Amino acid sequence: MIDQLPEGKSIGWMQAPPQWIFTHTVRFVGVVRIVIQDGEGFILIKKGKPLVYYFKHGRIELRGNAALDYFNSHPIIEFNLCKYTPEEFSQALKICNVDEIIPESTGRQDQIAPVVPQEKGEEKTVEVQPGIKQPEQEPNPEQPEKPEPLTEEMVREKTLADDTERPLVPQPAVLEDPDIKIIGQIKKLNGIVAISVFDDDRNILLMGDVEIEPLLKVARTMLATANKITPHLDWGSFVHMTLQIPEGNVIVAPYHENHLCILTTRTINIGHIRRILRDLQQDRTQNILL
Amino acid sequence: MLKQILNKFLILNDVQAAIVIQENGEIIQSMKSGIMIKEELQKVMATIMLDSKKTAAQFGNASLSMVFVEFSDHFLILGPVMEEFYLVVIAKNTANIGQITYEMKKNQDAIVSLL
Repeated sequence: MIDQLPEGKSIGWMQAPPQWIFTHTVRFVGVVRIVIQDGEGFILIKKGKPLVYYFKHGRIELRGNAALDYFNSHPIIEFNLCKYTPEEFSQALKICNVDEIIPESTGRQDQIAPVVPQEKGEEKTVEVQPGIKQPEQEPNPEQPEKPEPLTEEMVREKTLADDTERPLVPQPAVLEDPDIKIIGQIKKLNGIVAISVFDDDRNILLMGDVEIEPLLKVARTMLATANKITPHLDWGSFVHMTLQIPEGNVIVAPYHENHLCILTTRTINIGHIRRILRDLQQDRTQNILL
Repeated sequence: MLKQILNKFLILNDVQAAIVIQENGEIIQSMKSGIMIKEELQKVMATIMLDSKKTAAQFGNASLSMVFVEFSDHFLILGPVMEEFYLVVIAKNTANIGQITYEMKKNQDAIVSLL
């Protein structure tokens, strides 16, 4: 099914908690392509409303809340936001066999279908999507707590799961659409390896293929240095700190109430990055003044 | 002689100070224009040197090539010259950073020979 979906326009690959997707797609129409280990899946979204959850790993196929639970069982997932035109979206709905009238509820209030044995091969399809014509079924309780390997046992367990009591981990809505666009644009610049938005507690958004924790450790150390020296200098507000090592550059900079960490190659045009960071800070100052 | 080399930085547009400094904050030589190098600034430079060296070491013991700290009015570039000696350039944010880093690389050997 994934391969049949329209490509859409990629906004960029990111790493974030699954709940981030739901809190940051209010104006988004398209597909969120998700990769977890060797499996891949997607969430079809129309203006913040998830319409279809799907994940496939080998011969195991999860749909609806089984797929959602699997996504939620990972603290961080890697995904690509791909915008759809109205035509592409209609085509995606048809491919996913979604009714034209979409229920107002999100996928969390979905109906759950029993295991539907597939006629061809041994694939198992577990749950239905809102709006998809499927037989009715019984709800069961289940709460994912930690990342789970996707096994056939898990698929069977999920058929016993109740999703009426599925709690959502509240995630603060910290980034708006324009922010994601800005971060995506910076990531696309030549020489940018990764870019992260982080706060004092956690990584909020990561674009790029890096291990986030070691990078954040370095970024926080740099930030601590900047915080130590700033009160002793009468040089205006802190714009950025760049650490250059033979492998490349690590840049930390304030970004709204959060911070940016940018990992670049050695060959990057620092002047370009510097201009961007200064512009970002000027925008921030103007917003504060307004 | 070291002063002559440091003066090459000072003649660049909007550069306010060029300093050869030790990790402990002791200034070996400096050339400045329109800026006072007070004890507080020395402590700031020492903090940047020591913290950045430690931070770079988190990258699989990588050596520190350069540190660039920018504020809305001024920036500071710090590069290791040899062992615990560093070259620090302080400039207004209108200065040409490319020119400064070029001069830092170009004059590194000459500075080392004088330390």
